[in-house]
Amino acid sequence: MKKIFKAVSLFAVSAVMACGFAACGGGGGGEEKDEAGNTIVKIMFHVDEKSTEGQAYKKRIDAFNTAYKDKKIKASATYQARTTGAAGYETELLNKQVEGTLPDIITFDAPNCASYAKSALLYDISSLVPQDVQSDFISLNKYDGKLYGLPIQESSAGFFYNKNIFKAANVDVSSYTVENPWTLAQFKDVCAKIKASGKTAVDMRLDATKDETATYLLYPFIYAAGGTFTSEDGFTASGYFNSAATQSGFQFLKDLVAEGYTSYSIGATDFFTGKTGMYLSSGWTIPEIENKYKETFKSRDDWGLLPYPQGTAKASATGSWCFGITNNHHKDKEAAKELLLWLTSTESSDSITTATGMIAARKSVNKNYADGSPESVLLKQLQLTGKARPSTVAYPTFSTCFSQVIYSLKDGNLSDVLNAQAKTLQSEMDRIPR
Amino acid sequence: MTGSTLIILAVFVAVFAGLAIWDIVRSKKKNEKFRLRSTVTAYLMLLPAVLLAFLFILLPILYSLGYAFTDYYLLTPNDIDFIGFDNFKNVFVEIGEKGTLYHAIINTLIFVVGVVPLQIGMALGLALFTNRKVRGVKIFKVCFFAPVVISLSVTSFLWLQILSPSDTGLLNSFLGIFGAKPHDWLRDPKTAMLCIIILSAWQGCGYQMLIFTSGLSNIRNDLYEAAALDGANAWQKFKTVTWPGLRSTFVYIIITVFIGACRIMTQPMLMTGYQDHTVTLSYYMYQQGYKYRWVGYSSAVALIMTLVIGTITLIQRRAFREK
Repeated sequence: MKKIFKAVSLFAVSAVMACGFAACGGGGGGEEKDEAGNTIVKIMFHVDEKSTEGQAYKKRIDAFNTAYKDKKIKASATYQARTTGAAGYETELLNKQVEGTLPDIITFDAPNCASYAKSALLYDISSLVPQDVQSDFISLNKYDGKLYGLPIQESSAGFFYNKNIFKAANVDVSSYTVENPWTLAQFKDVCAKIKASGKTAVDMRLDATKDETATYLLYPFIYAAGGTFTSEDGFTASGYFNSAATQSGFQFLKDLVAEGYTSYSIGATDFFTGKTGMYLSSGWTIPEIENKYKETFKSRDDWGLLPYPQGTAKASATGSWCFGITNNHHKDKEAAKELLLWLTSTESSDSITTATGMIAARKSVNKNYADGSPESVLLKQLQLTGKARPSTVAYPTFSTCFSQVIYSLKDGNLSDVLNAQAKTLQSEMDRIPR
Repeated sequence: MTGSTLIILAVFVAVFAGLAIWDIVRSKKKNEKFRLRSTVTAYLMLLPAVLLAFLFILLPILYSLGYAFTDYYLLTPNDIDFIGFDNFKNVFVEIGEKGTLYHAIINTLIFVVGVVPLQIGMALGLALFTNRKVRGVKIFKVCFFAPVVISLSVTSFLWLQILSPSDTGLLNSFLGIFGAKPHDWLRDPKTAMLCIIILSAWQGCGYQMLIFTSGLSNIRNDLYEAAALDGANAWQKFKTVTWPGLRSTFVYIIITVFIGACRIMTQPMLMTGYQDHTVTLSYYMYQQGYKYRWVGYSSAVALIMTLVIGTITLIQRRAFREK
């Protein structure tokens, strides 16, 4: 009997040890400190550490740790590359939220702000707005009047065009500027001329529906046609997503397919190898053209960037990744605020946008872009016509619905498709408590 | 690890200890040769394996079962309320309204009905082919098995190149030789699932081929010799010797291929994205649980799916049981 009790005691000890080890994973309520007494601020980036952007962040983190050595604050960064699969950044972030191990600062895509803020994942940083931040750049980072994210850089998109193809097709676009934008009808005229010259007119990226790319690049066309996606509070889609104006925006895209100006089967490198006249993409294509495709584009004389064409309203793509402080188990946010302000400072904004080729969120970062250069087109466009994607807690569903409409443009009955997607989006919004 | 997990873990260890003690006491009463030290040692050695199986297999199933009756939203893990059968009701509403779940069920059924016979047929054919004592047959075996060791993501991307809708796509350019126009294989609802079925059968059949080969090697050669003496032709030998000899292997393969087919997700995710004509049940659950963040609803779908697959598997086992 003695031995049986011994065995029971062994089991009990094992159980207690298992619980004890597991409990070690939990965090306290105060700040986390290392052996040297430094307050540790954990931050998670959405890019690979070895990427150009990742290296730029790493340099700024190292500089922060040097500058704040005396203040005993140390930043600890992890890099989780964003992918569309289950191992992606968002999945990792959500897992950390469930585990209760959220870092102090995260990067997040601006359209997710509403759902993160509503779920109290993010901490209100309204008091931290720097004076010289481009005010339009933070509109999507607000929820219920409070600010939850600060950007370093902002992205916009436009139509990269091959000047040699345009010349051969006898197309002159020199008068189309951000201040004096081309119309949707003029856009179609240009497409018709390029098509007549034997080239594919434009790659509208209709095949990029597996992730956010198609939504990000194409939503301005719906706004330009006077359409909308949701009510202002983000809780109604019926009557907005399937309104007549919204339909006319999608119809424009459908017509481009029907008239043979674009298609779903344009090769990924067709524009870069001189087979397609125009290519809808973001600022990240600038370094790609200049570094990878020198054979087709020897200098900036061979390519240019046109703004989005405009209709009854003006709109262009906006909304990039930004930084937010989380509502994790660390109650004291002072050290996290220091790091956030450091990362979104003029100096950080300057060095990181130099690496990424994107537009700085700080007005004080003067890049002296040459008038008419692709960078200046993107900057002016952001300032004059930038319009954010809808701010709704059901954004993931909105993005899927939008992609499914784009996917169905070729064959589906547009009205039926929009009604079905509006119904799906509305039922998702109805599931979310107000 | 959350508090509730710790409590469940402690309860499990206590139950395990209780059962072990009960078994030890019972065995001691019955068996005169009983040795306490050996029995306790055996249970202690069993504990890590049982604990791991509980933590990584049983516990997630139990959690999923529990979540199916809650409004668990991934972004608010500390605010979970019990909502009874609401999630199950929503599942049936979604099916009734022919929403995405309805398409997911239909697509999964099409996939299962298509891939199970195709993959098993291909595997059996390849096993019979490579089982012959012919020079260089091992090279074929390696070639047929190669897709199994390549990641599904990689094979999906390879097939994306083959099925590219442009006229430079491998399949389209080949068919172009015969005057066929380029076709968008993955966008066309009539051909998309078929392409995914063929890709999946091609990718998976090498593994079943090896199992069939192992089954074939267990069939005694004298049975074939006896059949030959009786004047049996190749088909008769297959029907009366090979097939009965492979019966238990076949049951194992059909059950595992069926379960694997029900869980298909990677191929449609990478090849078409979340579209009604290719979405499958697992992809739907992933989308609902992770992208839309409705863990409770997704768990309800998972629970129903588990019950359906479990029932069909039991039916399969009874149907193929040796009489």
